[in-house]
Amino acid sequence: MTDGRHPDVELTGYAAEALTPAERARVETHLDACADCRRAVQEHRAVLATLAAEASTPPPIDWGRYQADLRARRERAGRRRWWARPWPAVLAAGVAAAIVLLAVHGLDRRPGELATVEETVLGARLPMLQQYRVVERLDLLEDLDAIRQLDRFGHGS
Amino acid sequence: MTQESSDEALCRRVAAGDDAAFDLLVARHQGRAYRLAWSLLRDAEDARDVSQEAFLRVYRTAGSFRGDARFSTWFYRILVNLCLDHRRRGSWWRRLLVRDDGAGAPEGALLDRQPAPVADPGDRIERAQMTSRLWAAVDRLTPQQRAVIVLHVQEELPTSQIATVLGCSEATVRVHLHRAVTTLRGVVRRD
Repeated sequence: MTDGRHPDVELTGYAAEALTPAERARVETHLDACADCRRAVQEHRAVLATLAAEASTPPPIDWGRYQADLRARRERAGRRRWWARPWPAVLAAGVAAAIVLLAVHGLDRRPGELATVEETVLGARLPMLQQYRVVERLDLLEDLDAIRQLDRFGHGS
Repeated sequence: MTQESSDEALCRRVAAGDDAAFDLLVARHQGRAYRLAWSLLRDAEDARDVSQEAFLRVYRTAGSFRGDARFSTWFYRILVNLCLDHRRRGSWWRRLLVRDDGAGAPEGALLDRQPAPVADPGDRIERAQMTSRLWAAVDRLTPQQRAVIVLHVQEELPTSQIATVLGCSEATVRVHLHRAVTTLRGVVRRD
């Protein structure tokens, strides 16, 4: 403004009464000396005043139906989003974590390792097996058929 | 209005699961919401749908209302963003319908904007035509410029509050306002 240029953006702000007192004072100083900007402000004001005087008037609406529809949408949204509530989310997360853990441990097992069920059976038999002198080779422990045979010997003895 | 029934207090009650508080908020703001949506979308069915969606957002996210701004500002932000998104999605076919001469403006636009009463019938007709052309031109502004104009001239929000609603700086709002008014001034000058 002080360099002789027209303060275009500020002129609109001035017409819209959107300036701070300091900005307003600067614009008014410029307007005192610039007829073009005074005319621009008048035109800006005319545009804004015309629009403001004829504010939007939308087609009439049935507010009772509007509220009823909104209530129905709210209820539909509530039903559809039941899974987003905290307790089902926690439950679902727990189930998912269990599935992932099982899958990872199942896949992670290298060939040759005993399966979980077999380990459990073998673990239950170990105290009894320790009583058998016939068990001299540890690799027999990996053979469930041999263990079953030993069981029979054990019960028979 | 008592403190207990302020918009902000109602919003907190909505967050706590009070459906009656939500109904009260809707009843209080539905008129302005529908009118604002209509001004930005220029389609009654869309305005109805989008303003309802804005209320549903309030219902779902009332807990995130921090209360550092007025409820109306927060709600306007939700609503205006939904309107801008809606226009972006539908703009490809709207542009085909709205021609530069305003002939494609939504049907009923002239009837919907009744002229202000003036003494001379000739003036009244001229004013009605000008107003119609101006609002048709508002419809062809960029979405941000249109939002600034509607929020300023219709909702009478100060530029600082418009900035909060649109999520931009006040300086940006002033630039949008300037460009919009300059464009609209050009429409008047062409007549």
